[in-house]
Amino acid sequence: MAKNALPSAFENFADARKEGFLTVKNLKDEGKKVVGTFCAYTPVEIFLAAGAVSVGICSFSDETIPEAEKVLPSNLCPLIKSSYGFAITEKCPYMYFADLIVGETTCDGKKKMYELLGDIKNVHVMQLPQTQTDEASIEMWYKEVLALKEKVEKEFDVTITEDDIKAAITIKNEERMLLQEFYNLSKSCPPPITGTEQLKVLYGSQFKFDYESKNKELRDVIDKVKKDYEDGVENVSKSAKRILITGCPLAGVTEKVVTAIEDSGGVVVAFENCIGVKTADRLVDENEEPYKAIADRYLQIGCSVMTPDTNRYDLLSRLVEEFKVDGVVEMTLQACHTYAIETAQIRKLMQDRDVPFISVETDYSTADVAQLKTRLAAFIEMLV
Amino acid sequence: MKEFYIGIDSGSTMCKAVLFDGKNLVDTYIIKTGWNPKISASECLDHLLEKNTISRDNVNITATGYGRETIDFADNIFTEITCHAYGGIYLKPEIQGIIDIGGQDSKVIQIQNQRVADFLMNDKCAAGTGRFLSMACEILDIKLEDIDGFTDIIDPISISSMCTVFAESEIIGLLSMEKDRSKIMGGVLQSIAQRIRAMTGKINYDLEAPILMSGGLSKSKALIEMISKITGLKVETHDNALFAGAIGACICAYNKNN
Ligand code: SF4
Ligand code: SF4
Repeated sequence: MAKNALPSAFENFADARKEGFLTVKNLKDEGKKVVGTFCAYTPVEIFLAAGAVSVGICSFSDETIPEAEKVLPSNLCPLIKSSYGFAITEKCPYMYFADLIVGETTCDGKKKMYELLGDIKNVHVMQLPQTQTDEASIEMWYKEVLALKEKVEKEFDVTITEDDIKAAITIKNEERMLLQEFYNLSKSCPPPITGTEQLKVLYGSQFKFDYESKNKELRDVIDKVKKDYEDGVENVSKSAKRILITGCPLAGVTEKVVTAIEDSGGVVVAFENCIGVKTADRLVDENEEPYKAIADRYLQIGCSVMTPDTNRYDLLSRLVEEFKVDGVVEMTLQACHTYAIETAQIRKLMQDRDVPFISVETDYSTADVAQLKTRLAAFIEMLV
Repeated sequence: MKEFYIGIDSGSTMCKAVLFDGKNLVDTYIIKTGWNPKISASECLDHLLEKNTISRDNVNITATGYGRETIDFADNIFTEITCHAYGGIYLKPEIQGIIDIGGQDSKVIQIQNQRVADFLMNDKCAAGTGRFLSMACEILDIKLEDIDGFTDIIDPISISSMCTVFAESEIIGLLSMEKDRSKIMGGVLQSIAQRIRAMTGKINYDLEAPILMSGGLSKSKALIEMISKITGLKVETHDNALFAGAIGACICAYNKNN
């Protein structure tokens, strides 16, 4: 597929992570508190309500893995190694500026890494239940959300009022609705934008800290994409095979998967990943008691750390229909047991729906770029 | 419209090429890939053109295999998975799948309605690939082409290490215990077959319909027997199975043009 230059509308998001460094430094200088988060289950409304800035600090580059491996086992998920590596080497400005880091008891690797991270940073770990429907789990998570609120109030010496939390819920919901509207644009055939472009916005939006201007920028991107599409600008070929990506968090170096797909006659229309539909799909109920509504919304996110992971299956089944997907590509990171095991269930789910499926395992190196290309190109050839 | 098709399957060890006239397989040629896949590929091309007195302008060239991207004189490029499948169907139309053990990877393909329906590939580790077998042959001091007459596949000594490096020391250990070499070789084939089963098990194969073993190791009856035994599937081969990828490359190009 011919590579099109990014429409100017994406530029705002393309370098957001880098540009955010300076913004965060300035915000810090102004006395703002910074919270680093690692996971889609972290209820960021609480930080917003406390007037703090929250930022995702999962790392997506192999730069610090050798440093991390001095402490961590090498046979561990690269996301965990790299994130820890950035913390100990102080190479990630966000991690460096973070006054508080909030993690959850998700997979074993992250959970144990947080203990080590706690030796060098101020870490608060929320106890995330492993099931999503029983009373005890729902109750426990609600208490964890309340405990986080208290922790944040104490750490930052603030009081979160009912109005504060409600306002945070509203603005975060607004962002989610905009993100939904944005990625739903790719339901069109052909989609107006490539997966690479979509990911730029989804990923970049995490590093914009002023919600009002971020939401406005999102609005602008949506309008621009819509207008180009209506004006007949054909950015993606009609014959491109429509691919949905699912699996472990995908960004940075693992964008090699998206590139391999889009260089082989495919186009990624949807990301059922943490940077993608998963985090924007559900809204927090604005008519409920705020903390209860927050707890209930976050707990229902589908992820392989849950057992059973019914919400992921349901979301995937829905997206495959809605985005008129030709094939599903799952990306798992090396040594991520929960996703790797769940592959069997996802393969079965897709076989039952007659949706072609492939799972590829990768890491943060670029050694497997040619191998990925062969598999994904073969997968797309199969869809003809 | 060009009359002839040449398919070049540039593998990690061997470069296989075939000449196809749109209907029949006219000629085949195989040489070592060597350090430069482009050189061996153009050598194959020149050979086939010269020997069959065909002009370069009258052939449509398709590249596949691990070196496919470097063959810049090809008119088309397809992945080895698609090519092995179409080549396999050409050789044996009734197949439901392909097992291909290459020099540095192995793959299992499912075919339905004359098309690829699913596939799995192992390219992360050498276990279950040709490299594993070459390593074992070297330590056991057996030529690759002699394994059929040599190997005891009835009573193999199991090799438990999955990783080539550890398996190597395991084999050396067995030799130092003066274990029977033919039984150790049986264990090596068994171990390869088990890696293949880890892939075939994930595909809904029918126990009755045949599966074609393609690629360089398809010449080994002992390996095919071992794979059939371990996977419980009906694995067969064909005299030209070695050329399945190159044949499939021609078919893919032919289908594209017609
Ligand atoms: S994949 Fe699961 S555990 Fe990992 S960040 Fe996303 S929600 Fe959290
Ligand atoms: S990718 Fe898997 S192993 Fe890595 S942090 Fe996420 S859930 Fe844990």
